[in-house]
Amino acid sequence: MHKSEIRVGGLGGQGVILCGMIIGKAASIFDGKHATLIQAFGPEARGSACSAQVTVADEAIGYPYVKNPDILIVMSPDAYTQFAPQVAPGGMLLYESDLIKVDDKLPKGVRAFGVPATRFAEELGRRLVLNIVMTGFFAGVTGLLSYESVEQAVKSSVPKGTEDLNLRAFHKGYEYGREQSAGKN
Amino acid sequence: MTLEGFPQTVSLRDGTPVTVRPLAAADAKALLAFYRSLPEEDRLYLKDDVTDPGWLQRFVTLVGSGELVSLIAERDGRVVAEATLYRALRGWSTHVGEIRVSVAPALRRDGLGTSLARELVKVATRIGVEKMVIEVVENQTGARKMFRKLGFRQEAVLRDHVKDINGAKRNLILASTDVSHIWEAMEALVADFSPSAE
Repeated sequence: MHKSEIRVGGLGGQGVILCGMIIGKAASIFDGKHATLIQAFGPEARGSACSAQVTVADEAIGYPYVKNPDILIVMSPDAYTQFAPQVAPGGMLLYESDLIKVDDKLPKGVRAFGVPATRFAEELGRRLVLNIVMTGFFAGVTGLLSYESVEQAVKSSVPKGTEDLNLRAFHKGYEYGREQSAGKN
Repeated sequence: MTLEGFPQTVSLRDGTPVTVRPLAAADAKALLAFYRSLPEEDRLYLKDDVTDPGWLQRFVTLVGSGELVSLIAERDGRVVAEATLYRALRGWSTHVGEIRVSVAPALRRDGLGTSLARELVKVATRIGVEKMVIEVVENQTGARKMFRKLGFRQEAVLRDHVKDINGAKRNLILASTDVSHIWEAMEALVADFSPSAE
């Protein structure tokens, strides 16, 4: 069975859980795979650490918890500090490059890809969509899920009236991810 | 300001394709020709003298500076409609945007004005506008219907505020729509709170 374990980490208000939910939804509803999602919140609605654990597999998943992710997506320095050492050998780190500096906490052999997601989101008009830029970046770099499935998951997960900007944010992150991925392969 | 997602092709009700894109400085002459082609009575309802080259110069400058957003619709190389989003960059109403739409008489009731207005509403919500307003004269029933479909609701009536081409006084209707709730829903969605804490 092919299985990918993903952890998304950041701060409350960055849309960490939504990012994880969209990945799981894209896999399970739009890409014909199986997925599980575990959410962890801090005590405050905004600013405290939060994370999501997503498992994507081509068969039913018996154990949903992620200890050593194959893919780590981080949007804050604290999340990087906490989760980077746990990335599985040969795994992948996707990080917000204006906020996080990659250092020796990251195990050797882990491939790191950065995206200035917050800046991109602000350039698009709303900082709020940084998590969608990050989701697009995930799709573009990893190729784990089809473009169409993640696009559908974004479209069906965001509030009515915000689809246009969210899809632009997704596309921006996806294209940047493709470029970064091509540059390193 | 760079507007992504343009040019777009909009199909009119009869299937005719029309290109919608942001106004560029090079479009100034074509825009002036469009406004000069409008019937005099239509132009009377516009706030500015759109046939004046001086107005055009100021308009294009404001579009270039980002103070205004202007979309034009083109067919066969000619401008057939124009829509503007006016927004104060300073003062107490920077959250408010005003939309004005002009469509060539031959293409009215074909959905072109609605498409332009809808695109401007999208642009406005993207750049932080929270409330959108329009001004229409009471007998502009087509425009009133179009904006009602886009969610605008009457907020005030200025009695006898407009004089038409025959000197008849008409009421001016102010309508608005609050678009702030759209992004409030997104803010709630990315709050990353525990559902059990609610």
